[in-house]
Amino acid sequence: MTTTISREKWGSRFGYLMATVGAMVGAGNIWRLPYVTGENGGGAFLIAYFVLLYLIAVPGLMGETSLGRYTRQGLLGTFRKVYGNNKFVGLGLVILIFNIILMSYYSSIVGWSIYYAYHAVIGSFTQTQFDTTALWQAFSSNTALKVGMHTVAMLIVTGILMMGIKGGIERIVKWMMPILTVSLIAIAIRGVTLPGAMAGLEFAFSPNWEYLARGETWLAALGQALFSTGLGWGIALTYGSYLGRNDDIPLGGGIFTAIGNTSFGLLAIFAVFPIVFAFGISPTSGAELAFVALASAFGSMTGGYVWALLFFMGFFFANMTTAIAITEVGVTTYKEERDTSRSKAVLTICGIIWLLGIPSAMNSSILGYLDFVVGNWGLPLATFIIMLTIGWKFDANRLRILSLNRGADLYVPKFWESIVRFEIPAIMLFIMVYFLYSNLTATPWKTVSGLAILTLTIPLCMWIMSRRQASAHPATNVGGQSS
Amino acid sequence: MSIAAIIVMIVCIVALWGVASVALVYSLSQEERKLQLIKKQGGFEPYSPQALRDLDRWIEQNNTSEHAQEMRNVHEEQRTALQKCTSYFYTWNRSDIESLKEI
Repeated sequence: MTTTISREKWGSRFGYLMATVGAMVGAGNIWRLPYVTGENGGGAFLIAYFVLLYLIAVPGLMGETSLGRYTRQGLLGTFRKVYGNNKFVGLGLVILIFNIILMSYYSSIVGWSIYYAYHAVIGSFTQTQFDTTALWQAFSSNTALKVGMHTVAMLIVTGILMMGIKGGIERIVKWMMPILTVSLIAIAIRGVTLPGAMAGLEFAFSPNWEYLARGETWLAALGQALFSTGLGWGIALTYGSYLGRNDDIPLGGGIFTAIGNTSFGLLAIFAVFPIVFAFGISPTSGAELAFVALASAFGSMTGGYVWALLFFMGFFFANMTTAIAITEVGVTTYKEERDTSRSKAVLTICGIIWLLGIPSAMNSSILGYLDFVVGNWGLPLATFIIMLTIGWKFDANRLRILSLNRGADLYVPKFWESIVRFEIPAIMLFIMVYFLYSNLTATPWKTVSGLAILTLTIPLCMWIMSRRQASAHPATNVGGQSS
Repeated sequence: MSIAAIIVMIVCIVALWGVASVALVYSLSQEERKLQLIKKQGGFEPYSPQALRDLDRWIEQNNTSEHAQEMRNVHEEQRTALQKCTSYFYTWNRSDIESLKEI
């Protein structure tokens, strides 16, 4: 327990809540959720989404946060405490590697948002006859510029993380998240007052009940509920490890994080679709929606400079708070494992991510491939590992009694245990098998190579950790056997 | 907009923004209460009556478990806090506190 004695803590409840919700609110909330909602039955999709959010994401986040708060360690330290000094600590290393790979290409997306925030600041979008398609194409084909923006993104992340949990992350998110909220509210108010805007809201909210009977609707809702909340990636565990012993988890780390995150998605629906429909733009998602369609629409609006600035600064803040959280997982773990200073850990992890991110910044096919592998199997596998660890190895019953209900603003009853033990792992297995089945015919090379790499990662990580454990750490565990 | 879309929109606003706002305000106010208790008496009891019953039941059912001592320590921490403190974070009956025994 030596590393926990002088462990830093969140400075305030508000700071912790903004950090966790900021970690979950990213590009997907703004450029994906509105479109997915409209495409999958509108209100019917939202009902499926709410059900899954409360049944899976909220209980899962509670479990992950309470494990982190209990062990007060990063990923590897937590796995070592639960499994003992043996090869199974390698499972924590698997999750850490997925996180680093995820951040290596997410950094490029942060870089894109910085570039567009810069153009919003200098007023590019409101110039006469400005062509946003040409800007996106010029940017996409300029390798040096994309690597440069990836570098700028990592430099900002490095600078913030160097200042620590309280002085860096908390200080930044306490103003970034409120600004993001105000920006989206302002754009939403402007959007819904545009002529023809109601068609956008009709597209998003009009319930098509037959969609509730379609498996695809539930799968899309499941994907959004899981990936948007970042369940099982080690973020909630890491942020939870900086909580005080008697801080609440169920309400803040569970309900507020999951519902607050989705609230930003709802705000994005109000901000994006009225504008899209008012300007007669075809509803879409991803980079095309944000960087081409919306950028063009802002240029045509009265006071377009302000709306573009609010949107792209807000978009940058949403991406940056997520990037900080993903990177912090590696920083906390490296600092503890190497028993080194925070500065050294930040420079090392950010340096590794920067180097690994260069290929994704240079070539969008590499970014797409990594997103395909990590999104389809890496992250569900990470969630599967963490939930099995909580539910079975540590024992969900003991965790609920010892940590989850300690200092809680809401009492969590026993049925939470079966969700963590059975429901979430079973759903994760189903997702991985479904993605394998649905991708194998369409993209056999990508699917087989991605799965081969993932399959090899597990035994390799376990082998690395088993070699390292024997000499580096004395036997300490809280969850089961030690070796 | 159709009536159905308006209803769904209102339900979404209540279920998301409503719940998130209430959770945020309630969580911050509870934290303020905890801070007041810490300032006044140096701490407060970590578990609610329901959570303590779960803890007692676990100790009773797993008395010989390798984790039993840790659970007993937590129980003792709770008992000491309840006896030492004059104000409580959770709602307690005086009789419940007085009947708490060392395990």
